[in-house]
Amino acid sequence: MNRLLSGLFWISLCLILAFITLPLLVVVAASLSPSSTVTFSPADWTMKWYAALWASKWLDPFILSAKIAVIVSLVSGVLGALGAYAIAYEKCPGSEAIMAFLLSPLAVPQIVKGVAIVIFLSSAGLYALLGTPGLIAAHIVLTLPFAARMIATSIYNFDKNLDRAAQILGASKWQRIRHVLLPLIKPGVFSGMTFAFIISFNNIPLSVFLVRPGQTTLPITVINYMEYSLDPVLAAVNVASLIFILATIFLFEKLGGFSAQIHGGSK
Amino acid sequence: MNDIDIELICVRKTYGNNLVVNDINLAIPKGEFVSLLGPSGCGKTTTLNMIAGFQEPTGGEIRIRGRNQAGVPPEKRNIGLVFQNYALFPHMTVAENVGFGLKMKGTPRAEIEQTVRTALKSVHLEGLEARYPKELSGGQQQRTALARAIAPRPSVLLLDEPLSNLDLKLREAMRVELKEIQQQLGMTFVYVTHDQEEAMAMSDRVVVMSGGVITQEDKPEHIYNAPRTSFVADFIGKSNIFAVSLRPAADDRQEIVINGSSIALAIAADQPKVATAKFCCIRPEDVRVVGNDVSAKDANVLDGTICKTVNLGAHLDLWIAVDRDIMIKALVRSSRSNQLKVGNPVSISIAPAAIRLLAE
Repeated sequence: MNRLLSGLFWISLCLILAFITLPLLVVVAASLSPSSTVTFSPADWTMKWYAALWASKWLDPFILSAKIAVIVSLVSGVLGALGAYAIAYEKCPGSEAIMAFLLSPLAVPQIVKGVAIVIFLSSAGLYALLGTPGLIAAHIVLTLPFAARMIATSIYNFDKNLDRAAQILGASKWQRIRHVLLPLIKPGVFSGMTFAFIISFNNIPLSVFLVRPGQTTLPITVINYMEYSLDPVLAAVNVASLIFILATIFLFEKLGGFSAQIHGGSK
Repeated sequence: MNDIDIELICVRKTYGNNLVVNDINLAIPKGEFVSLLGPSGCGKTTTLNMIAGFQEPTGGEIRIRGRNQAGVPPEKRNIGLVFQNYALFPHMTVAENVGFGLKMKGTPRAEIEQTVRTALKSVHLEGLEARYPKELSGGQQQRTALARAIAPRPSVLLLDEPLSNLDLKLREAMRVELKEIQQQLGMTFVYVTHDQEEAMAMSDRVVVMSGGVITQEDKPEHIYNAPRTSFVADFIGKSNIFAVSLRPAADDRQEIVINGSSIALAIAADQPKVATAKFCCIRPEDVRVVGNDVSAKDANVLDGTICKTVNLGAHLDLWIAVDRDIMIKALVRSSRSNQLKVGNPVSISIAPAAIRLLAE
């Protein structure tokens, strides 16, 4: 019986992994194919679509998206950590309600949110903010709840006895935050920032309302390009962004060590 | 040498209507090893937390080194605390953990290193400086926590059931070691525990608490030999406790009658006078099982039947029924287990001096 269950477990696990990764393999193959039809013969493979990416048509949106994602991730990390500290550590009045409120943006469709932000900015006369500043602000609104909740979770898991131990050893409040709390919730902060980065970098539904012509983010550029042509350069863009995101996750992991969350926080 | 390190004056703590600590008075001289002993919920941990400053007393005053501590936060009290779960910083090595207190005070690095080395040496942890807490055994974590608490040289060290997570062998070894460390450092130790053996083994003075008040405070041997209440007699060691009444006997002496029976026992003349004695306490090791050869000089001889025996290795626990409802526990050497079988009739003798009267 147990053997049957574990067999079923492994089979379903493999199926799920295949379902996730196989489409990616097709995209990779497509990005290497010489023509619009996807070929799987390595002899014919070409790097010309990747070479085509090295043009301002693709590079500018990539740089804009990366810039926005970095800012959004940093701001979400800092604001999220401050908010989570007030909510989860100091248990400020109404902390439960704020925590619940932080979930609410997840319940509003992003399209609705995008429209709302555009209407708000234009009716307030803030046309100057449409475009990149608006994009950054809108992305932060979207990612902050994720970051705050992740950091709050790591603060809830923080053993308050450690704070008391530091306190009785003579550490002031600031020293306790700096030397005990922050190092121990660092993995939570970095995983929150990673989420913010990925959500911002890949975002379409919010960005589509806020980009300015000539200043589009990478996903929006891809969408626009798709309206007129469907060639393997799109596959190459996707593979390139995938590699970029994986590299970012790897970098954040190195800095923050979220895997440390799994084995106790000391590496 | 009458320096008082910690003084509690009429300290009380209430949570809502719940009175947890009720007007405690206690003075702990410098360099003394004091145990706060009691069952869970007796207020001992609350008392410790108030000394540490994590909880403010509802009433009364706490003085450390003569100074009132009202409003002084824990980080300014300059005392050490060893936590029950050790509370080691998981992201720091053993050396960083032990040096933490000094680092926070801005001590120069070379001095920290020197002090950490000394502290680790005194708890026998040399060579583990670079390990992380999760790479240590329970006993090593315990020693690290101790080294961390003593490294900044506080004058007072509070210990909150520090040995309760260790296995028996280690716990017994650590008792001896803790006492040695305390004597070497000349530090005042306030040790909270529910384990009476621990308290007896290490303390200069045991403070027995129950229901938020101090029931008795005395040297360990006095607590054991001269408990003042039936709670203390029952909590510290094993004892036979009976509700009794006093009555005059021949030669101007007094004897006691165990309530609800006809058993009368002579008591020693020099027994401290307890005018309103309600209970008596007899330690099991003071109950002499004389078998069948009773001699005339044996006092307080009672006949009974063995109901139950428990072999404790070196000793044998006997439950002896001497009257319908009166059961007396006795402790004898287990070498006698051949003669003392369940169902055997035996005679026991209790020396009058071994019977202690209790007022409550």
